[in-house]
Amino acid sequence: MHEDASQQLTLLLIILFPLAGAVVNGLFGRRLPRSLVGFIGVGSVTVSFILAVTSFAELFALRAEDSHKAALIYQFYEWFSLKLPNGAEVPINVRFLMDSLSGVMTLIVTGVGGLIHLYSVGYMSEDDGYPRFFSYLNLFMASMLILVLGSSLPVMFVGWEGVGLCSYLLIGYWYENRDYASAGRKAFVANRVGDFGVLIGMFILVGVVGSFEFADINAAAVSGQFRPNFPVWPFGVVPSIATVACLFLFLGCTGKSAQIPLYVWLPDAMAGPTPVSALIHAATMVTAGVYLCCRLSPLFITSDVAMSVIAVTGTLTALLAATIAVAQREMKKILAYSTVSQLGFMFAAVGVGYFAAGFFHVFTHAFFKACLFLGAGSVMHAVHAHGDADIFKLGGLKKQLPTTRWTFLVSCLAIAGVPLTSGFFSKDEILLGATAQIFRSDDRLMVAVGWFTLIGLTLAAVMTAFYMFRLYFLTFTGEYRSAGESGGGHGYDPHPHESPASMKIPLIFLGLGAIFAGYLGMPHIVPVIGSHLPSWWGEWMEASVTGHAHPESMKIINIASGLALAAMAIGIGSAWVLYRNKSKDVLAEKVPARLYALVFDKWRVDELYDAIIIGPIKQVATLVGRTDMTFVDALLTRLPSFNARELGRFLSRLQNGVVQTYGMVLVIGVVSVMAMFWTPRAHLEGAVEGGTLQLVAAPGLGYEYRWDADSDGEFEGGWSANRIHSPTYGLEDVREVILYVRSPRTGASHHYALTEQWTALDLDRLDTGWRRIRSSLPIVARLSDGKVQLRLNGAQVFGKTDTPEIIELTMGRGTGIENVLMVPRAKVEATVEVRNAFGNVSTASREMTLPDGYLPERHALFLDATKGVSR
Amino acid sequence: MITHTLTWLLAIPLLGSLVVLAIPSSREGVIKRFSIGVMLVEFLLSLRLYWVDYSTPGYRLVEQVAWVESLGISYKVGVDGLSLWLVLLTTALTPIALYASWGSIATKIKEYAFSFLLLELGMLGAFVALDLFLFYVFWELMLVPMYLIIGVWGGKDRVYAAVKFFLYTFFGSLLMLVAILYIVAAYKELTGQYTFDLEKLTTLMLPAVPQYLLFSAFAVAFAIKVPMFPFHTWLPDAHVQAPTGGSVILAAVLLKLGIYGFIRFAMPLFPVASQVIGPTLAGLGVFGIIYGAYAAWVQRDLKKLVAYSSVSHMGFILLGLFAMNRQGVSGAILQMINHGVSTGALFLLVGVIYDRRHSRMLDDFGGLAKVMPWYATAFVIITMSSIGLPGTNGFVGEFMILGGAFFSRGAVGLGTHWFAMTLLAATGVIFAAVYMLHAVLRMFWGKVTHEENESLPDLNRREAWALIPLVVLVFWIGLYPKFFLDKMTPSVDAFISDFSIRYRQSRGISKPQLADLKAIDPEETGSYVLAHHVEEGR
Repeated sequence: MHEDASQQLTLLLIILFPLAGAVVNGLFGRRLPRSLVGFIGVGSVTVSFILAVTSFAELFALRAEDSHKAALIYQFYEWFSLKLPNGAEVPINVRFLMDSLSGVMTLIVTGVGGLIHLYSVGYMSEDDGYPRFFSYLNLFMASMLILVLGSSLPVMFVGWEGVGLCSYLLIGYWYENRDYASAGRKAFVANRVGDFGVLIGMFILVGVVGSFEFADINAAAVSGQFRPNFPVWPFGVVPSIATVACLFLFLGCTGKSAQIPLYVWLPDAMAGPTPVSALIHAATMVTAGVYLCCRLSPLFITSDVAMSVIAVTGTLTALLAATIAVAQREMKKILAYSTVSQLGFMFAAVGVGYFAAGFFHVFTHAFFKACLFLGAGSVMHAVHAHGDADIFKLGGLKKQLPTTRWTFLVSCLAIAGVPLTSGFFSKDEILLGATAQIFRSDDRLMVAVGWFTLIGLTLAAVMTAFYMFRLYFLTFTGEYRSAGESGGGHGYDPHPHESPASMKIPLIFLGLGAIFAGYLGMPHIVPVIGSHLPSWWGEWMEASVTGHAHPESMKIINIASGLALAAMAIGIGSAWVLYRNKSKDVLAEKVPARLYALVFDKWRVDELYDAIIIGPIKQVATLVGRTDMTFVDALLTRLPSFNARELGRFLSRLQNGVVQTYGMVLVIGVVSVMAMFWTPRAHLEGAVEGGTLQLVAAPGLGYEYRWDADSDGEFEGGWSANRIHSPTYGLEDVREVILYVRSPRTGASHHYALTEQWTALDLDRLDTGWRRIRSSLPIVARLSDGKVQLRLNGAQVFGKTDTPEIIELTMGRGTGIENVLMVPRAKVEATVEVRNAFGNVSTASREMTLPDGYLPERHALFLDATKGVSR
Repeated sequence: MITHTLTWLLAIPLLGSLVVLAIPSSREGVIKRFSIGVMLVEFLLSLRLYWVDYSTPGYRLVEQVAWVESLGISYKVGVDGLSLWLVLLTTALTPIALYASWGSIATKIKEYAFSFLLLELGMLGAFVALDLFLFYVFWELMLVPMYLIIGVWGGKDRVYAAVKFFLYTFFGSLLMLVAILYIVAAYKELTGQYTFDLEKLTTLMLPAVPQYLLFSAFAVAFAIKVPMFPFHTWLPDAHVQAPTGGSVILAAVLLKLGIYGFIRFAMPLFPVASQVIGPTLAGLGVFGIIYGAYAAWVQRDLKKLVAYSSVSHMGFILLGLFAMNRQGVSGAILQMINHGVSTGALFLLVGVIYDRRHSRMLDDFGGLAKVMPWYATAFVIITMSSIGLPGTNGFVGEFMILGGAFFSRGAVGLGTHWFAMTLLAATGVIFAAVYMLHAVLRMFWGKVTHEENESLPDLNRREAWALIPLVVLVFWIGLYPKFFLDKMTPSVDAFISDFSIRYRQSRGISKPQLADLKAIDPEETGSYVLAHHVEEGR
């Protein structure tokens, strides 16, 4: 599926149209008529959607021919490249790829995006920054499409950060409100924390695989390239480096897709205009994390630890966000927490290995959540609410806003998981995944994670149904609670009106999607009845997304469906009892007030982060800012200048003209110089000159030297003025033998002092690539009669069985045994005595490791005794 | 055809500055137009360097004329893929900085233009000099006009800042001069002849201890210029006091000379010391990334904020440089250009608002997006470039540098302190967003809180023309960096392999000797070799 595929220019055009729209509207929008601005904005996305559909059709046709290799590719140009330490050059290509996964995502993005653009024409019609809005929105579409269509991590990362930028700009779209702008900044910074993880994860992957392309990474994961033991600071040796890489990537996902611990930006992001909330913060951008996990599903699935972390994080997020949503009063806030919670569902699905199910929920969620947000926008438009709408000031809107009401209701049914709506199918699959994990795995951790996920998600599903219908009932049933207001008070417009057609059409389309989108992914086996259904979704996704197989056991299927149905019924039922036609928050009266307040304050997580993370960092920054110009500057600027000034003052005082003082200084000087020469300075260095070893002593006036090259207490000669000595060392002079072992694969190296006893070489830490087959004894080495022996104890060197059991190494020579370099080196000690003209003597000794290639004389026996090792 | 391109490049600003001296100072318009014209001619001429073939290692357009024969001093200039882009950066940024200055410089126009032309001469000379003495002359020559620009046309505390700038840099230069004289003397002792020729001097191999000392002397001089923590405290003062044009040149070109000095002189001359001390400097760079970001975050003066962001960015460059692999060094050079473009543009933008309000305090602004939409747009674009958003130039540079650090000493890049440094440096990406968006928030978003700000004019034509080339470069480098990288890659590869050879040969020698550069199999070089010896040394 690489170079041979023909170039698909359409893929590039899909991205370029919205990009062009963004540039035109951004640069010239203020001079163009509004209708043209809107036309460019909506039109560019529509063209992009049509192109996406044609590409998808082409992909579909390809798929019919060859089910596994189907993909469309457009190679644009080479961006830049990295060079790995092994010399391999890794190009980073601007290349786009549409396969079954990115194809579906492209359709969601352009389709839902197009509808939301259309909606914005009506919704933003009164706004001053109309061209700016469409420019940002188009830029977002282009970035999101780069994210989806990018065929390698760096290209995806361009879109990944690009959507972050657009999110920042659009959250702070009404920048005159400082809080909104701050919310934008919070989103950007939280995303950046995640991006840091993606960046590091990317490097780890390319280090192992040697390519940035998703396809190559996945292929490497399937072939087990991530399995060898890797030394990773600071984790020690990890059994699979995929775990580390996946966890770093997942950090990125928690940022982009608003999971614990980085979810806090998403609720604040509702400061942006409602279409933005619908498009970016519900339907598309925030699902990018799930998309990334699916994209790299063969990699993620190799790491049980990473998968468990993802499942638990997803479940916890689903629960936490659902509890918060139960107590909120504002429409968009509730929907925002609902989005966080639903994203948690998606990650839980990914974590239990049901990638296709997680992505199916992305698909269905895009319809009903976009519809809900646009519905909320329609309500706010109707009652002239700004920013957000308090549901306790609404009510009874089903009469005035019939279209909005019906589409909203349908979407509520879908998100709650009422049978035969889209949410039912997707949520059911996720619970099935959790149940299947409990029964599939023998591993206790995995079973525990399965139970935790199943119970957590069921509870979250109950709450989902409950808070969504609380929202629905309080908004659309009962009496309109702002009817008596004059408009100037705290309430809303007393006479709500239905929205224009440009807003209603998207609602209807999305509402239809909320029901029917689910039929693409009907369950493999129907619960209770047990008959098989064709699941188009599962088959389609198989080509690019891996995952655990679906269970065939009816027990598992029935448990999952039963829980899903029960959760839905309990949730909707209790909301019906508590809130239908009511105007008060009944729940608030039934739970302890302080608990309710805590939940209403979002568990005060923001405050917690402020206290334990942001606060301390800010304090350090303040400290740095203050000390830099005082302490650091003082140390480097003011202290020297002070010293120079004071020294000058002191010295000028010495020049006082008193002869006695001068004389005293003279005497002190002479005495000091004499003292310095009284004892000789002894210093010894070893060096290799022209293949012979030289000992070099420090020079001095009138010095004489006496040498004891092996430090045995007997000097080899008398005093001489020669400060360079070239001794020859014999075996008896060797103090110690050190074995240096180095693995070129990781660059790690160790050395061991050898004795007559066997010393274990803990080569496991070195990632030598050697494998033990017969015993668990370590590889050992010792000195024996001046030879270095290495006993492999059954270690198998790359499958060769004819390796001798004992290998003898040559002193001072590097011996490569397969890829491992071993150098035994002798240590000797040399001593020199130095005498000066006063007859005083000083001594210096130095321990030296004889250098590479330096062979002590008379060591021919070292060589003779060594077999099978080349010199 | 013009021959002696490099000499012409040096001659044009020199002749230009002499002509400026001859124009009567009352003819301000003529001086302004003439000095810009000279710089544009210079820029057009420098474009010729792009079409020189750099695909094999070695210097191009070399010219050598004996100067002081008895001491072996010669006028020797040349370019290679390492200095090419720095020369072009200089010739491109200097006219922009001078052009932008004409909005705010009202007094002593003639002297200002003269200083700028002289400054351009000094900077270009330092980038093309291949003789250590010549380099030293240009290095010091640069100092004088910059000292004047800060001291004469600067802000309130300009004299303090100018003296501080001068003393700091001069202190480093003197250490470097001593070190230069030492190697020249050592070379004389071995060969019996004096020379300051860089290519000859790099064949000199010194034992480890003198290498450490000499490298440290060079390193102090260059680290002050970079500036590397903790030698950075002159920078905020100099930037805050300098006029806009001076700040632009200071950030865009002058700081680069520090890094360039490491690449061209300190590292080839003292490979063992670079290999041993380098990681420490990279570590200080990483510390500077975070330290600079923290300090920038709490600044209330916008210009000081940008100055500290320079400390942070230059830390990245040090990290990439001492990673000693292709993407690290190329990334460092590319990031030098990026920093020149982005930070230069940021200082221009600071100048824009300072000209209007005579204040740079963040507290004095807010809501400017409403009043000055184009200004806000330009500021946000440059901000994104500064924080390394993909698609802009900053991303490519930072990505290559982080990739360089990550793969500096091993295949997977893990298990060494380079992994820790990469992690810490990557957090700098987060903090960059924090402090830059903090500035954007305080400047542009919210309501207009000060009445004076309500009627500020948007970018005028001069300011727009100064900024547009920089914005184009932001996206050009961001989207198609190969245009720039392809020219430097062969030189970078040669730099690394030469370094490895010299490192291997001069390791463990006990007295100075001359290198035999052909003695080592090129196959054995590369970062693998370096990694091997580093591990052994531990």
